[in-house]
Amino acid sequence: MAQNGKIYLTPTPVRIWHWLNALGIVTLCLTGVQIRFPEYVSLFGGYKAAVSLHNAAGVVVSVSFFLWLFYYLLVARNLLKLYVPNREDLRFGLLRQAKYYFLTYFLGFRSPHTTTPQDKFNPMQKSAYLVIMMILVPLVIVSGLLLMNIAPLRNLVLVVGGLKFLVSIHFLLASMLGAFLFTHVYLATLGHTPFAHFKPMWTGWEETEEAKEH
Amino acid sequence: MSRIDLIKRIVGCLLLVPALTALPVWAGAGGDGACLECHGDSGTVGEMLAIDRGDYAGTPHAEMGCSACHVSVSGSHPDDGNIPSKATCEDCHQEVAREYAASSHGGYAACRDCHDPHSVRGVTEVSGYDLNRPCAACHEDQEMNTLHAQWLPQAQLHMGALSCITCHTGSENYVITLYLIHRAPGEVFGDFALAGHEELKGLVAGGDVRNLIDTDGNRFISLEELRVFNGSSRYGSFRLQGMMAPQKVTHSFQILENRWDCSFCHASGPKAMQESFVAFPQNDETYMRVGVEKGAVLDLLNGTPDFYILGATRSETLNIIGLMILAGGLVMPIGHGTLRLLTRRNRDGKEH
Repeated sequence: MAQNGKIYLTPTPVRIWHWLNALGIVTLCLTGVQIRFPEYVSLFGGYKAAVSLHNAAGVVVSVSFFLWLFYYLLVARNLLKLYVPNREDLRFGLLRQAKYYFLTYFLGFRSPHTTTPQDKFNPMQKSAYLVIMMILVPLVIVSGLLLMNIAPLRNLVLVVGGLKFLVSIHFLLASMLGAFLFTHVYLATLGHTPFAHFKPMWTGWEETEEAKEH
Repeated sequence: MSRIDLIKRIVGCLLLVPALTALPVWAGAGGDGACLECHGDSGTVGEMLAIDRGDYAGTPHAEMGCSACHVSVSGSHPDDGNIPSKATCEDCHQEVAREYAASSHGGYAACRDCHDPHSVRGVTEVSGYDLNRPCAACHEDQEMNTLHAQWLPQAQLHMGALSCITCHTGSENYVITLYLIHRAPGEVFGDFALAGHEELKGLVAGGDVRNLIDTDGNRFISLEELRVFNGSSRYGSFRLQGMMAPQKVTHSFQILENRWDCSFCHASGPKAMQESFVAFPQNDETYMRVGVEKGAVLDLLNGTPDFYILGATRSETLNIIGLMILAGGLVMPIGHGTLRLLTRRNRDGKEH
């Protein structure tokens, strides 16, 4: 769908999911910091409040993840196309996009990737989102659910290597997602204006290349 | 001889009379065997008066002998027809009795309801589970789980890793004690149970069970020894289950206000979790603790793989790794952002 130099890039369910997820993940990061370093951080009052909020946000993000998966797999049916880099992406796209981000961007060149509803992400985004949404997020969800139910799921906790291993994995995954968050927000400012990429995630519409040039 | 000396001698003789009368009985103090000949057999004296010889032998009371508490027992017992006197716990444990009577539990149970003087052990000689056993006699496990779950997250987990007196008395000096638990080899989803002396003895070819982890036999468990044990596939069916319990026990039972606040334990910081032990079952059903290198519970992986207190036993190494990952995430905003700022003129009017 396109009109007046704009294309409808991000459908409503995806936008709801994105901001719910964003709120959930930021809450998880902040409460997680308080849970790990309670003697230094007390953003959410008592320790129990931080744990309860962390658990609640964890459930919200888990449900949100499965809604996202359900939507792209069964409703939009373009999960693989959007998120899995194709042969062309792997052979040339990744390198081309990296060259843009780390060299030609500074020289004033335009991004080699054109965003369309059926090809929303450039090869680097595809690869990053694939790792995040198909590996890191599912693992952080599973480890979190186990940590929320240690006694009843004790045998499963032991199967994965014990409580300490599980806590360590959860913490490292959270650190990776936290690190991604910095990069993600920064890269979102690389549009033709610093907020150009934020708008379609709020309204659904993004200006086309032609419209940008006027 | 002065009058005062005379009075002293008379008093001395009067004191000697009961002492000499009691002599045959005191002579039996080292020889409780005579008493246990009958009282060690329920078939002879009945269940009510029978004493388990093994249990009794391990108690501090056994060192004093039967007649220390049953002072009126005579050499002709039971033919004399007298029922021997019984000392009360307060006779020796006045301070504890006073403290207990003043506690919220004082009106509900007598000493004997929790402690059998013929089998009682010191707090460090029993497993943490045994420590909770007297409480569970009245406060049924399931009911307590349900009650605590009304406010305590993961109540079952907490109650398995804490002795009741950790939170419900003013006891102090909390330490982590690790107990060996095991399940049948190959039973991935089987239940764990405390490992007994005999089971462990088989693993050390009949030697001292402490050598199972304390391999150099210096009666101190280094972090490396702990890691080797936890990482060994030979002991795959064994785990070390940790429990936080006080070393200095009081009987001041109460609902402590600060225990509602999770930060009492969870914000105590890594320095509070420095002292730990491994408790090995002995052949007399007591436990013997061996000290563990300080900070073992803070080890990243194999020190105590199943013991973790959120917030308090975090690994420093992991913190550093996490921080480096987060710093890696700042490379783009800072590095790229700086170059972007420096080259902004190249994109004037066409930023994308």
